[in-house]
Parts: sequence; C-alpha cells; structure tokens
Amino acid sequence: MAKTFTRRDFLKTAAAAPLAGAVLPRLSGEPAPLAPSAAPAADRVRVVLVRDPAPLGAGGAPPAEVVQRMLDDAVKALLGESDIVKAWKTLIRPDDVVGIKTNAWRYIPTTAEVEQAIKRRVMDAGVAETDIGIDDRGVLRHPVFQRATALVNARPMRTHHWSGVGSLIKNYIMFTPQPSAWHGDTCADLAAIWDLPAVKGKTRLNVLVMFTPLFHSVGPHNYAKDYVWEYKGLVVSLDPVAADAVGLRIIEAKRRAHFGDDRPLPMTPHHIALAETRHHLGVADPARIELVKLGWDDGILV
Amino acid sequence: MSRPQTPDARLLASFIPVTAGPWLSEADQVFDAETVFDYIDGAGEVYRSYNMRGLVARRFHKDGRPDLVVDAFDMGSAEDAFGVFTHDLDGEDAAIGQGSAYKAGLLSFWKDRYFVSVYAEEETPETKALVLDLGRRIAAAIPGTGERPALLALLPPDGLEGGRVRFFHSHAVLNYHFFVAEANVLLLGPETDAVLAPYGSGRLFVAAYGAPAAAARARDSFAAAYLPEAGASGALRTENGRWTAVRTGGALVAVVFDAASEREALDRLDAVFALARGRAVR
Repeated sequence: MAKTFTRRDFLKTAAAAPLAGAVLPRLSGEPAPLAPSAAPAADRVRVVLVRDPAPLGAGGAPPAEVVQRMLDDAVKALLGESDIVKAWKTLIRPDDVVGIKTNAWRYIPTTAEVEQAIKRRVMDAGVAETDIGIDDRGVLRHPVFQRATALVNARPMRTHHWSGVGSLIKNYIMFTPQPSAWHGDTCADLAAIWDLPAVKGKTRLNVLVMFTPLFHSVGPHNYAKDYVWEYKGLVVSLDPVAADAVGLRIIEAKRRAHFGDDRPLPMTPHHIALAETRHHLGVADPARIELVKLGWDDGILV
Repeated sequence: MSRPQTPDARLLASFIPVTAGPWLSEADQVFDAETVFDYIDGAGEVYRSYNMRGLVARRFHKDGRPDLVVDAFDMGSAEDAFGVFTHDLDGEDAAIGQGSAYKAGLLSFWKDRYFVSVYAEEETPETKALVLDLGRRIAAAIPGTGERPALLALLPPDGLEGGRVRFFHSHAVLNYHFFVAEANVLLLGPETDAVLAPYGSGRLFVAAYGAPAAAARARDSFAAAYLPEAGASGALRTENGRWTAVRTGGALVAVVFDAASEREALDRLDAVFALARGRAVR
C-alpha cells in the first residue's frame, strides 16, 4: 500500500503545517494550528468576507436591499472596482448564457434574496433575462443550464455527514448524473466535478452564503436549530476553494466557541485541501489567501 | 424519487402511527439503499455502510407548528440496527426500544432490525412530548427484539466506557469516530464487523474478518502503515507519548490505541484474546 496519511503523521505535523491543521483532521485535545505566515500579496488569492447586522427575515436572509449592498460591496472589493456594473461587466459578457447554481436544501437554502441580487447584476452586465437560469437539482434538465456559457455558484456552507461540510466545490455535484458516485472516500474528489464539460471553465463568481450557517450535524436530516447561528455574512471569491477554506475556518471557530474545546468535524472535509493539492482547482492554504473583511465585525471569528 | 411500497415497506409503515396528537401525517415516502440520496443526500452513506434495506419516511404537519418527521429504517439485522444507532450516541437515554438517545428535538432508537429517528424541526415542550410519544408507540408496535453484535463480548470490562461503544463495517465510519488513516489500512469492508471502545483516553479496536488469512493481511497492512518500527511485541510508543499495539488471533485483529503504558496495551490485548478463546467468534 502506498504511503498514507495517518493519525501519527497528524501528531507530527499539526503544529507546524497550517494547511494540515485547517483542513485535515484535527484530533480532539490537540491544539489549533498557529496563525499562518502570509505569502507575498502577489501570490495570494483574494476572498472577501462581508457582514451586516440587519435582522434576518423569515427566510433566513437580510432584507433584499441589504443583500444587494453586501454583494455589491464584496464584488467591488474583490475586483478592485468602484463601479458595480463595470465590475460585473468584467465577469459577464452580454452574449453569455448564465446559470446561477443555487442550493435548495430545505433548512438553509441559498435564499431568493441572494439569487435575485446576482440575477440583477447579471442583467446589468447586459444579459437578457431569458438567458439567465436559476436552479439546483434540475440543472441537467434546465434549458438555460444546458446552453450556459457562464455560471455563478452560490450556496450556504453547512456541516455535512459525509463530506464534512457542504461547500462551493460540492455545489456542482448536481451537474453529474449520479451524485452518489462522488461520495467515495468521504467525497475526496469532488473537485474533479469541475472538469466535467457542463461546468469546466465556466464559473465567473463564487458566493458562499453564511447568513445562518450550520456548525454541527445531527440525525438523518443533518439539521438542528440549536446548531445554527446568525453570522450574517457572504464570502465571495473567484476561487471556490479559497472561499470554502475561509468558510471552513469560520465553522471551526464557531465550534470551538460553542463546545468550549477544539472539537474537530467528525468527517474531515478533506475535499477542500485535496481540491488544491490533488486537483489544482484553487487555493486552500490560508497562507496564500488574502482575506478582505468588510462591514460588521462583531463575532467575526476570523 | 420515492419508490412504490414493497411488502417490507408496508410492514415498516404499519409501525408508525397515523397521527401525533393533533398533527396529521402526509403521504409516506419510501426509499431503498440507492434512492436514499434523493432524500437525505450524504447522510445516506452512513446508512448504506450499515447495509440498510429500506426507509419509510412519514412527515406530520400541523399549521403554525413545527413539522415532525419519522424516518424508520429496515437495517436488515439487529446488529446493523444497533450499529447505526451507535453512530450518534449524543443525548440522554429515553428508555425507548433496545437503546435510545434524545437531544434537541431528535430521538433515535433501535429495536430488532429497525432503526428509527423521530425528529421535530424545532424543539418546543410540545414537540418534545410528541416526539417521545411517537417513539414509544413505534417501539411498542415493533414485535420482536434482536441481539447486539457478538463482537461486543470481546471487550474487556475493566475500564470500559460501555455506553460509548461503536459498531461498524467501514473505515470511513472508523475515521469519523477516531481518525486512524486516510487509507483503509485495516482493510475494513462490508464483510467485516468491527467495534471501537473507549478506555479512558485510549481506544480498543477489534475486528472480525471471517478467516485467519484475511485477519493476517489486515494486521500486516496496519502494522506496515502505522507501526513499522514496532518490535516483536507489536507495540510502539507513538508521537504523543502513549502506546499502540496490534495483535491477531484466528480471524480477529485487535488494536489498542493510546494506552498509558506498553504493559497496559499488551494486557488489554491479552484480555481480548482470552475472551475470544472462551467464545465462538467468526
């Protein structure tokens, strides 16, 4: 058998390797990794975290105008552009056919407010409304997604029984005819989905919704209200792996704050680290992520 | 996509009451090991790893109140019903079925070959009472009881925290409870039965492989990946200053993780195989 990462390797490397500590199994009782030393700015991938304290509505989102402002502020900061329409025109062309890949999970969906905020800016970039689709489980049958030239990936982060966390990387599993086939080795190779023709090279923006993240899974349905909290954030990046890595740090920090110990996720979300190291989809190493924080910082956790 | 009810599904559905207080039930959804992903996504892998045969899901609704959901699994054997119950032991014993736990609106229990989850989408005093009542009524409707896995008898009682023992077949589930290695170095699979038991800060792993040759291969694989420096005793002091030891006997492999001393590790292995010699284990 080829060399494999074992519990002993973790014990040897945890304090020395920020990546291993952040996205590989962290064992109960072991100290959290030290803060990473940053790589030079030019080598880092930008992720923007924006938060707003506005009360959430019944659907779990802030008011529509607040969501629009949060998304706009994040995209402008991400792209270094002061005009929001100009910013979106660098992402989307008028002749694009755009699929907004949402997530319809019953308990914590993407939310209509996020979907519509994205749709509005896609239309501002010149795309006709008939060339915009919003879907989750029906993407393979959706006529807009079937001819899509561009995708915007938007979903909430939550803990997950098998993959560790439901992530932006995992959000594209519905572009496969048999999602269950990607669960092997606790979803290690989800990033390979991004090489499929239906999605390869099409993603223009990633939005990780952190309005009410789930930080601990229980029961067959994965959900208990006790383990959801109002973080009221969006994590936005061109790099889905980097956005997921930031979201994971937030989830892990919340778990430490709630449980009072450094309790690792029961199923390690190694698909995020492997998205970088094995599949080269993006950057998971915190030392190579430039995290820009906007807005409300009470309880920010990172 | 839900499937038409089979006779087994109709039997399973018959255990579930039609009403829960003033809550009324909706149409059942029926799933098998392939279609369970349509219902509970990745969580389905947990139940598949325990050989689930079928699932009947019944939702109870009352306007203005949180929904209640009953998920009744036919696990095919009492051992696997017990096993999937041990996957999540968080909560207080509700004295329902042959083992139960309740926390935050979720009741789970096992009885005979069935594992049942009763879940309130929001916990209130009212929904808690209904969840527990539903659980009791379902447990009462299941006619038989089943035996816990025989492998549990090989766990030495001295120092054992019996309420936290896990039974499983897959290395992913092992890693869920106690990360050992990314690869399946203990060669676990659908045909292996395994237990993981806490002894203070240490763990005891025991697996039955069905044949001595298979156990020997598993022992060699684990030793090569995890304890290559171990001596003839099969024990090694690892990076955290504690002791890990492996031994095989017949179709069994036992591993002690994180014992306080070499003596403790070896004594625990001695105790496992002494118990095994006194019993017939496959």
